[in-house]
Amino acid sequence: MAMLEVKNIHTYYGNIHALKGVSLHVDQGEIVTLIGANGAGKTTTLRTISGLLKPRQGTIFLNGDDLTKYPDHEIVYQGIAMVPEGRGVFSRLTVLENIELGAYSRSDRGEIEANTQRVFQMFPRLEERAKQVAGTLSGGEQQMLATGRALMANPKILLMDEPSMGLAPILVEGVFDTIVEINKEGTTILLVEQNALMALQVADRGYVIQTGEIVLNDTAENLRRNPEVQSAYLGIN
Amino acid sequence: MKIKDGIRAGFIALGILIYLDLIGLPKTFGSSMVVTFAVIVFLFSLFSLRTKPAEAPAPLPSVLVNGLIIGVITGLGFALITFGFASLQAQDVKVTDVFAQISHENIEALTGVDKVALREGQSVVPGLTKLAGYFILAGVLGGVITQFPASKVLHIGDEEKRSSARYWLMLALPFLLFAFFLALRIEGVDIGGSEENSFGLVLIYACIAAALFAVREVKAGVHKIGFSALIVALVLVIPQLTDLKQNAILGAVMIFVIMGIGLNIVVGFAGLLDLGYVAFFAVGAYTYALISSPESYIVVNLPWFEGLNFWAGLPIAVLLGAAAGIMLGIPVLRMRGDYLAIVTLGFGEIIRLLLLNLRDYTGGPGGILEIPSPNLFGLDLGNPKGILYLGMAFAVIVTFFTIRLRDSSLGRAWVALREDEDVAEAMGINLVAIKLMAFASGAAFAALGGTLYAARQVNIFPDNFALDVSINVLSLIIIGGIGSIEGVVLGSIALIGLPEILRSVDEYRIVAFGALLVIMMILRPEGFLPSTRRARELHEADLDSPAEFEG
Ligand SMILES: Nc1ncnc2c1ncn2[C@@H]1O[C@H](COP(=O)(O)OP(=O)(O)OP(=O)(O)O)[C@@H](O)[C@H]1O
Ligand SMILES: [Mg+2]
Repeated sequence: MAMLEVKNIHTYYGNIHALKGVSLHVDQGEIVTLIGANGAGKTTTLRTISGLLKPRQGTIFLNGDDLTKYPDHEIVYQGIAMVPEGRGVFSRLTVLENIELGAYSRSDRGEIEANTQRVFQMFPRLEERAKQVAGTLSGGEQQMLATGRALMANPKILLMDEPSMGLAPILVEGVFDTIVEINKEGTTILLVEQNALMALQVADRGYVIQTGEIVLNDTAENLRRNPEVQSAYLGIN
Repeated sequence: MKIKDGIRAGFIALGILIYLDLIGLPKTFGSSMVVTFAVIVFLFSLFSLRTKPAEAPAPLPSVLVNGLIIGVITGLGFALITFGFASLQAQDVKVTDVFAQISHENIEALTGVDKVALREGQSVVPGLTKLAGYFILAGVLGGVITQFPASKVLHIGDEEKRSSARYWLMLALPFLLFAFFLALRIEGVDIGGSEENSFGLVLIYACIAAALFAVREVKAGVHKIGFSALIVALVLVIPQLTDLKQNAILGAVMIFVIMGIGLNIVVGFAGLLDLGYVAFFAVGAYTYALISSPESYIVVNLPWFEGLNFWAGLPIAVLLGAAAGIMLGIPVLRMRGDYLAIVTLGFGEIIRLLLLNLRDYTGGPGGILEIPSPNLFGLDLGNPKGILYLGMAFAVIVTFFTIRLRDSSLGRAWVALREDEDVAEAMGINLVAIKLMAFASGAAFAALGGTLYAARQVNIFPDNFALDVSINVLSLIIIGGIGSIEGVVLGSIALIGLPEILRSVDEYRIVAFGALLVIMMILRPEGFLPSTRRARELHEADLDSPAEFEG
């Protein structure tokens, strides 16, 4: 059974039909990527999974448990954390305060402390700047912070929305290395990316979304070779 | 700062003084006018000589010279003009035909020479010399003060540059001011204080304000504990030394401190703009009135019910206040910013209109009378001193709760809510619960203030609960510094305490405070004693802007 199972979800913004029956699944331990052009519905899909948007139709199961029955803020307690698009760090709080807020859904002090240490190990930069106001971090550091903050919830599955957005190429590599590292440590990942080339290199499988519908679904390997994907998303003619 | 700038500042100040003179301020202020004008010169000197955030502090001699220049220009200039007016009047010229406000009272207020004496040829020179002396002293003093870290009020200074002498002076300042107050009282020195001893009250305000800055400044550790204990002792003896009227005014200030701390939770911590805060104040006051006054509907109509005393009524009023907070909170949960402000504004008015129109229960415009005073172990607290002590005790309790809330995970959740609702929610923060918590605790504190208010006033009327209360509480937390508890105390003094002593110049005080608010928002948008978080927010431009790329 898949860990995360999204079946035929329809999400609307008022009258705008943004997701027209999206189905996808992510298995335990996988990295799955969702690629697509601007406005295709990638962010909408992640926001629907994490409960910030309510689908009008369709179901979302995590380990067999229907997520749509929980109130928005309780989704994280079921084991889903998100690194939002544009990072969404609390820019006026310090790095440490941001990280503490990431653990808001948990209460065991000892484990939170251990988790903080783990995050600092993964991102030594954050430890150096623990007292610094998040808004003054560089783009790359903010991305680390957003990722570290999401990990503080100790999620079973991590949803990442364009983590490489707006970063210099040299930093993008670092971001993808981190994704692989997090995955190796046992966290399943659903990754939304515009940078399809990199995403398909680290992912096991991928979905291609177009105007609210999944149009392709294959292993990352096959998607990389797919001529349509190559011309539309990989810039290869 | 160059000499040229000092001269310019001096003439601007002189212009302001002449304007105030011509609109007739001296007549209303009477003999305290000279001191008030000197205070204006002092403030002007302080403001124009202060160093800008980015600059190094000006050297002492330069500041002294410029302060002197401001003092001399205003002092001599104003004395000369007044001398001219006085000479004309001595010769029976009708100055009031041209300058309506430059009457004999005006000259008397400024020089101490009355109409008859003036006609008889008494010289105004000694009076004017005193006036000029005050102005010069004030100008120089303003310059000197810029050298103290306390003038950090006016900008965010460089922590490193403060010498230890300044540090100790800053810590000593509240006690010096207090000693000054004592000296005044004991020796009965007259420095132009009016009958109600407004000047003494101003000293008390200054003393408390200095203490607030000092407590913030004092180094952590044993130092801090000892110093805070001294300040607490000082604050505790103040009501023993002040007179009835002063205590009554300080009591009003305390009630607004309690409310300010409550609204601070809603607006400062959770970022929910509530313009109808007076509603909860009213709920507290009327609840206590209804269940305690022998005249109230409930007590009159229930033969077996004799009305509760203060201590029994208080928790009920506070609980009902919290409930009212939740009642308002539920319908506005989905609203943000301006919509929230409008709806809460309406809520405040609705409560007042209900009080006015539910005549049978609330007494309508006639209000509820004979509300019992608090009593503690047989000690009657129904006097200004008792109410003031009670208010101080409540303020301490409320402060304690607020600090606990702020530092709890709830406090952090409020900050997250203010920054980004969606991200906060995705992190597992129950937005509904924490918003309601903010409304409920803010409302409970307002109801506490309201209960104390009802007990203090004895009779309450719907008009006591108009929009201006909400506006005042909001303004005072903005002036003090949103999100900061010391700021609330300072703001209450500035907005509630100071205008009280200016009652005699009622028309002008509103204008003056409007102007103060505007200047304040331009010079120091984060308030006088901001929380560190807020200062960060409003000075984001000063911080390095986040770089999107790095190599
Ligand atoms: N708040 C909103 N209100 C109305 N329409 C919206 C809203 N957010 C997104 N949309 C619309 O929904 C569609 C999907 O948007 P979404 O943000 O999911 O795209 P995306 O794939 O994440 O794009 P990008 O790569 O640019 O982030 C778009 O047509 C967009 O205009
Ligand atoms: Mg997107």
